[in-house]
Amino acid sequence: MPTITIDGREIEAAEGRTILQALDDAGLLMNGVDVPHYCWHPKLSIDGSCRLCQVEVEGIPKLQIACDTPVRDGMVVHTQNERVKEAREGVMELLLINHPLDCPICDQAGECKLQDYSFDFGVKESRSKEPRRALKKNVDLGPTIVFDQERCILCRRCVRFCREIPKTGELSIFNRGDHSVIETFPGTPLDNDYSMNVSDICPVGALTTKDFRFKIRVWFLEDVPGICTGCSNGCNIHLGVANNKVYRYLPRRNDAVNDTWICDAGRMSYSEIAAPNRLRECEVRNDSGQLEPVGLDRAIEVAADRLRRLIEAKGAGVIAGLASAHASNEDLFTFKRFLAALGSETFGVAVVRGKADDLLIKAEKASNATGAREIGFGDARTVVDRITSGAVDAVIALGHDVLQEGLLDNEEPLANLDTVILLDTQASEMQRVANVIVPVRHAAEKLGNFVNEARRVQRAVPAVESNWEAYSDGEVIAKLGAALGLEGFDGSYDARQVARDLAAAIPAFAGIDLDSVGDEGRVLAGSAASGTER
Amino acid sequence: MLETPYVTSYLTEHFGEADYPSIEGYERVGGYQAARKALREMSPEDVIELVKTAGLQGRGGAGFSAGMKWSFMPKDDERPKYLVCNADESEPGSYKDRILLERGAHQMLEGILIAAWATGASVTFIYIRGEYAFPADQVERAVAEAYAKGYLGDNVMGTGFHHDVRVTRGAGAYICGEETGLLESLEGKKGQPRKKPPFPAEYGAFGMPTTVNNVETFSHVPHIVEKGADWFRSFGTEKSPGTTIFGVSGHVVRPGLYELPLGTPLSEIVFEHAGGVPGGRKVKGVIPGGMSMPILPAGQLDVPMANEFLREQKTMLGTGGVMVMDETTCMVRVASVISYFFRDESCGQCTQCREGTGWMNKIVDRIERGAGEDEDLEVLLDVAGKMEAKTICAFADAAAWPIQGLLRHFRDDFVEHVRQQKCPFPESFEL
Repeated sequence: MPTITIDGREIEAAEGRTILQALDDAGLLMNGVDVPHYCWHPKLSIDGSCRLCQVEVEGIPKLQIACDTPVRDGMVVHTQNERVKEAREGVMELLLINHPLDCPICDQAGECKLQDYSFDFGVKESRSKEPRRALKKNVDLGPTIVFDQERCILCRRCVRFCREIPKTGELSIFNRGDHSVIETFPGTPLDNDYSMNVSDICPVGALTTKDFRFKIRVWFLEDVPGICTGCSNGCNIHLGVANNKVYRYLPRRNDAVNDTWICDAGRMSYSEIAAPNRLRECEVRNDSGQLEPVGLDRAIEVAADRLRRLIEAKGAGVIAGLASAHASNEDLFTFKRFLAALGSETFGVAVVRGKADDLLIKAEKASNATGAREIGFGDARTVVDRITSGAVDAVIALGHDVLQEGLLDNEEPLANLDTVILLDTQASEMQRVANVIVPVRHAAEKLGNFVNEARRVQRAVPAVESNWEAYSDGEVIAKLGAALGLEGFDGSYDARQVARDLAAAIPAFAGIDLDSVGDEGRVLAGSAASGTER
Repeated sequence: MLETPYVTSYLTEHFGEADYPSIEGYERVGGYQAARKALREMSPEDVIELVKTAGLQGRGGAGFSAGMKWSFMPKDDERPKYLVCNADESEPGSYKDRILLERGAHQMLEGILIAAWATGASVTFIYIRGEYAFPADQVERAVAEAYAKGYLGDNVMGTGFHHDVRVTRGAGAYICGEETGLLESLEGKKGQPRKKPPFPAEYGAFGMPTTVNNVETFSHVPHIVEKGADWFRSFGTEKSPGTTIFGVSGHVVRPGLYELPLGTPLSEIVFEHAGGVPGGRKVKGVIPGGMSMPILPAGQLDVPMANEFLREQKTMLGTGGVMVMDETTCMVRVASVISYFFRDESCGQCTQCREGTGWMNKIVDRIERGAGEDEDLEVLLDVAGKMEAKTICAFADAAAWPIQGLLRHFRDDFVEHVRQQKCPFPESFEL
């Protein structure tokens, strides 16, 4: 492995890497060693055009761009000397002569690399007396992105992204020289499953998402690390939170899961958190068949009464459990323990399937299908078969995923059951047949681990509080277990303790709890690819 | 069609003969004998060694040793190897390749064939600027003749050597004369230079090992093979042997082409060959080698036209396009024309070039309009300095050098514009 010296600090670099890549690999780039850069992106091809990352390499007369200069053993690099600083200031000055001074109305302000680098590496005053380039301010590139040509610094990250990641190639540079502009070809708008990533990689406010622009100043947002729950890939995200509200998801880099990307559907799934169709009240069905709002204690009491009556009449064998692939490991492990204590042997998990691609989008449209299976929930088809054959009188359902094509096309078969207890986040047709409804928390509102398709356990932490009384599925089940007097249930629920119990109970989870999992996740024991590499 | 050169030497001596552009005419004066000799009697290494010994410098502007360039082609490489003939002559003031294409296409093709033998190339792509319609027609005709005669294709001249030539026309961008910009354009992409390394000898046209040479460079090769290195070295200077074709333009009595030995004094070209400035006016400045080369003032015209001497005057031979300007010329207008050209032609990849060319042009135009300020001159020099040696290709340098040259030698012109807040040269050419 070549060893290089950067600003007097020795760094081990992998063979074939460039200076900038070696710094990135070592976690030092802009985090100990400042080599500002625009066109270079860790997950895109090297362009070498912005020329900002020029550094001095001893023995080479010209300054070299760090992004494209391969490391050699014994290489000595200077990133902060006068010559380098002067070259950097030169690039910054040139980038700014045509950049509009509209930071006060620019959405990127606060997370703008042109702004940041101008403060850190730029010149304080402009010597340009010439009029700035006048270009189009509000170009509709497609369904998701608006483009401001004047703000664009032509780093071409977005162009390379479209060519290299979704491989759709909608964006191109038109014209040349200082009249270069990024455009789409007529009739081919920027429209692919990953289009909004161009907004993340745009170093300036040229590319903004129609969804987030003008919503809030980014410095009011707190970035909470979490995971996307849209499918079983479990892309790592930052939830942008302010005023107890999630304003956006941004991809959080995890080279073993999603690199630096997220699909548009996943990004937009933040809107589920505060969606109008969230369930907000506990409800129980009264004697006249109407649902009426109640407190949680009452809902638990009614549910327990109904279950107790059935158990006394027919035994626990008539009670079935439908787990949710959206629930956390802790929710699911608690539910599993509950069903075992109850004596129910009819349980499974329903997983909605959809389209998949070979990039990030997985067919299983839930964040924890793998976790549910590892914890012991089989295919919900066995549960459905027993329901339709009349062997079941009560169902405790976490979520409504059972209402899917090929499993239960509609809620009608559940209407004939004695008891349906529904714990859910969102409104659904299941409400029509439910006897007891309890709203539960979204993944963004609770602490929990989720297992992605590649068997990586990843953590969500509460980013917001629901504005109504809601608990996690596990906590509701724990209360129900206590109301039924089940062994091992005293009504208390601590997700961290449940995670430790799970780790002790199921070998695949050994050593993985809510603390040890970390921000980047850990792969289940017995996986082909354990460790952190994909 | 162009006039034939006023002064000829070995490259152009037959250009006045009507049948010389045809293969019959070319062979009548001994054409393709050098290729026969190289393919039949010389090893590729011998040819490369001969061209190195002759000291042939590339005639496309950079003046790099042609034999050395050929030797960079990888030897033990399974991939097909390519040659590219750079006929994208776009340097303002340069028009020597045009006549070499129009009248001497077979001479160039023979050089290509010898170079192909030396480098093991299986295909040569001739990339001709789109505006050169007639020259391109001549080259295509010559290529067809060479195929018909068995000088191209399978079994060249019965030697078993295989070589194909493809003619591609450009679409009108100066930057496609930069060798890697040319390769991108050749591949059907936007003409934007590639970052180096990898160099074309490793990763060139379509990713294959490639050598790019200028039209004139190839045209010298048959003569070197035929008559030897010593003969070649009898022309020119020790470091810059051979002749070149100077294209003289501007304020001279006889603008036109002059094939002269490298090292010929610039004053001889301007005053003796081109007849000096008409109307008894004086020379103000001369651009020695195409627009991207820094200008020389009237007092420095004794310089021999070879890089080792021109470099001492902070300029270069470039493509041998000699542009003469008389005493009426406003050098700020010259700067305006030059900076506009480079602003328009920058490919726009690198920040310094994209933004710097535009900024320089705007400052110069403002000075010419009479709205210049004292500090503009320093800003202009500083911007030029920021562009130099910091980009993917040499375009930014080519844009910066002439502005630096004008400010070095004609600073007073700029200062007067600022002082008078108008252009003090009413008789100058109009913008």
